[in-house]
Amino acid sequence: MIRHLFKLIWNRKKSNFLLISEIFFSFLVLFGVLSFGLYNYHNYQKPLGFTHDDVWLLTLQTQSDSTAEKLAVEEQVIQRMRSFPEVEQVAFTSGNAPFAFSSMMNRLSYGNVKDLDANQYDVEDAYKDVLGLKIVQGRWFGPQDGTTLHEPIVINRQLQKDLFHGEDPIGKLLTPINDSVQYRVIGVTDYFRASSEYSPEEGAFFTRINRQKDQSTWGSLLIKVKPGTGVAFEEKMMRELGLIAKGWTMDVSTLEKMRQTKSRLTLVPLIALAVVCGFLVFNVALGLFGVLWYNINKRTGEIGLRRAMGATTRQIRAQFVGEVVVLAFFGVVLGLLLAVQFPLLDVFQVASGIYWQGMALAGLFIFLLTTLCALYPSRQASGIQPAVALHEE
Amino acid sequence: MLKNYIIIAWKVLQRRKFFTFISLFGISFTLMVLMVVTSLFDHVFGPQMPERNSDKLLFVNMIRQEGEEGNSMSGPPSYYFLDHYVKKLQTPEKVSISSVFTPLNSYVQNKKLALDLKHTDQAFWEILDFDFVEGRAFGKTELDNASHVAVINENTRKQYFGGESALGKTIEVNQVKYKVIGVVKDVPVLRVHSYADVWVPITLRQSEFKNDDLRGMFFGIIQAKSTGDLSAIKDEYARMMTQVKIKDPKQGTTLYSFPDTLLEAFARTSLGGGRESSVGLFYTLLAIAAFLFMLLPTMNLVNINISRILERSSEIGVRKAFGASSKVIIGQLVVENVFLTFLGGMLGLVLSLGVMQLINNSGVIAYADLGLNVRVFAWGILLCLVFGLISGVYPAYKMSRLNAVEALRGGTK
Repeated sequence: MIRHLFKLIWNRKKSNFLLISEIFFSFLVLFGVLSFGLYNYHNYQKPLGFTHDDVWLLTLQTQSDSTAEKLAVEEQVIQRMRSFPEVEQVAFTSGNAPFAFSSMMNRLSYGNVKDLDANQYDVEDAYKDVLGLKIVQGRWFGPQDGTTLHEPIVINRQLQKDLFHGEDPIGKLLTPINDSVQYRVIGVTDYFRASSEYSPEEGAFFTRINRQKDQSTWGSLLIKVKPGTGVAFEEKMMRELGLIAKGWTMDVSTLEKMRQTKSRLTLVPLIALAVVCGFLVFNVALGLFGVLWYNINKRTGEIGLRRAMGATTRQIRAQFVGEVVVLAFFGVVLGLLLAVQFPLLDVFQVASGIYWQGMALAGLFIFLLTTLCALYPSRQASGIQPAVALHEE
Repeated sequence: MLKNYIIIAWKVLQRRKFFTFISLFGISFTLMVLMVVTSLFDHVFGPQMPERNSDKLLFVNMIRQEGEEGNSMSGPPSYYFLDHYVKKLQTPEKVSISSVFTPLNSYVQNKKLALDLKHTDQAFWEILDFDFVEGRAFGKTELDNASHVAVINENTRKQYFGGESALGKTIEVNQVKYKVIGVVKDVPVLRVHSYADVWVPITLRQSEFKNDDLRGMFFGIIQAKSTGDLSAIKDEYARMMTQVKIKDPKQGTTLYSFPDTLLEAFARTSLGGGRESSVGLFYTLLAIAAFLFMLLPTMNLVNINISRILERSSEIGVRKAFGASSKVIIGQLVVENVFLTFLGGMLGLVLSLGVMQLINNSGVIAYADLGLNVRVFAWGILLCLVFGLISGVYPAYKMSRLNAVEALRGGTK
């Protein structure tokens, strides 16, 4: 039966060519969009590793050149911030605060792993409490880190996996590419994905900001406020800080708002793509339906003959649905030939599992769609009375 | 003749309503998407308020310093660079310097307003054509005195002053008070060189003027005397770039900076790595994307057309028997298909208006003002024609080769 169906399609391959290539392209479009969607969905499912409720980000900038003045102002600002009763914790950080549009990469080497790219976050001790980080091994920074020979760092679990392959990382020394000092790992945090909810899990490590020792300014201040603190306090805070940092540009934003901006950046293109893809596939489905309907109606003679020879309505229906499934099969196989190149050649550094899932879903969808398109015309075909059909001839 | 073809096409359309619906649905949606994209493109790169005479404008928004070891730094130029080098150019009519906009906060009645502030000079208002709702731009006196005056956009007036006249009132941004002297229509955020919520005199940032770094946070806008002068300006600019002194050769010994049209500026930063103007590549990519997008709907339409035309094989047979050449038949079928695409195109146009309205109101792009204009409309017609031709030619060619005798028998089996 199946061999017979293949033969039927093969004999009409010229007139079926367009249908097959249409299914082929639909499969590819579906595969692409589904993989993209799955990729983001998988990332979204992973925990962020920090809580951003009631956390604000204050950025401070000045055109002044005097480092001494900048340092003095920053110190005054943080002192004033700590004295507000509405503020629970404050911590300076490098510009790559969670959900901010900036990133900082450094290269680390350990053992066989050479020059691994990892996100570097310069943070103050209070950062852990502001964002509620969880330490799974070792410890977080403390005052005792002020005088150590090697610079202490805390890494996230992903970096531990990439760099140490399950070895105990505590106390190990690392050499970064653009720094003269060596790093010493003192702790491991759980997940830490700071760039966006849809970003993949990347290796990250924290270095300690020591404002007593190094004379650099940071410009970004993370603030954990008491729940329910609103714009009224924000205005008061900005007014008071304005008196301290005269002529500075200051901007404050909630992490929640920054999260929304970041996620919109992923979601808007994704939704636009999904809408366009949905339209394309719907269009193809309609076209397929029309063409099948027309083709099947043209074959009344053949159907009449089969009916007269004793085929049941069910067998007729099965034949036509089967033919369409074989058509879809050809299209999908051609598409798969191209699609498997993505996981095999590791295009775009996406986990291959996502590609396989995308392929499976796209294939399933195509078969479902083509079968649906074939159901109505083939039901109509099976209703043909042999006497009428043969009489027409 | 043409009228006859169109009448036939119209009758054929009415014959099988479902097929007509499928064809029109596919055509109208395809053209709708293409038209929305065209409109978006025009919105970003075409002449729009306030860059109305953009064919005479060039923008300087990047300077790139490269070293021998491949290290490079790039960013907007500094005031010093624009003032000392770009402003000295002979060929341009005017050069304006304005700051990159900075997001700042403002508070009004326990509400927070995030406002984008831009510092501009006098030439900025002369080169660009803003639509003033009330008041005026700041001029020489205000700039010389570094007065705290501001021009705001309509949305800020609505948010801050409740929509009443704002002239003479005070607006406080980042703890600094400015007197409002003008209100302009909202400028779309995609117009990075002119967009802001609040515009204030550039002399308020005098302290930065002395800093002789080449990179900073400023944009330059060059206005040419005529469109033909653009290449002369680019040549002079390139000569000028060879004269620029590099203060700190450690950061790199080669400098790249170009006066670009909007499209060049975009293509250069996104595709050309800041060096090549990759407009050709950009157009190629666009064309490929459009082609890929149109591929499926076209194939679909071809499929449907073949089915529909097959029905008419006896008609074609008769015409052939009476001496119509293949060419004539192809002509007729293509005209019919183009007619169908234009019908779909009209529908697509209506749909695209709806989608543009949706985008404008959704706030996905701040102050977006997508709409139809002559340029977008012309592109739409062109796209219709291309789409109609591509999807009509193959089925027509196939049918025209029908054997008259076979066709008259009513079958093509």
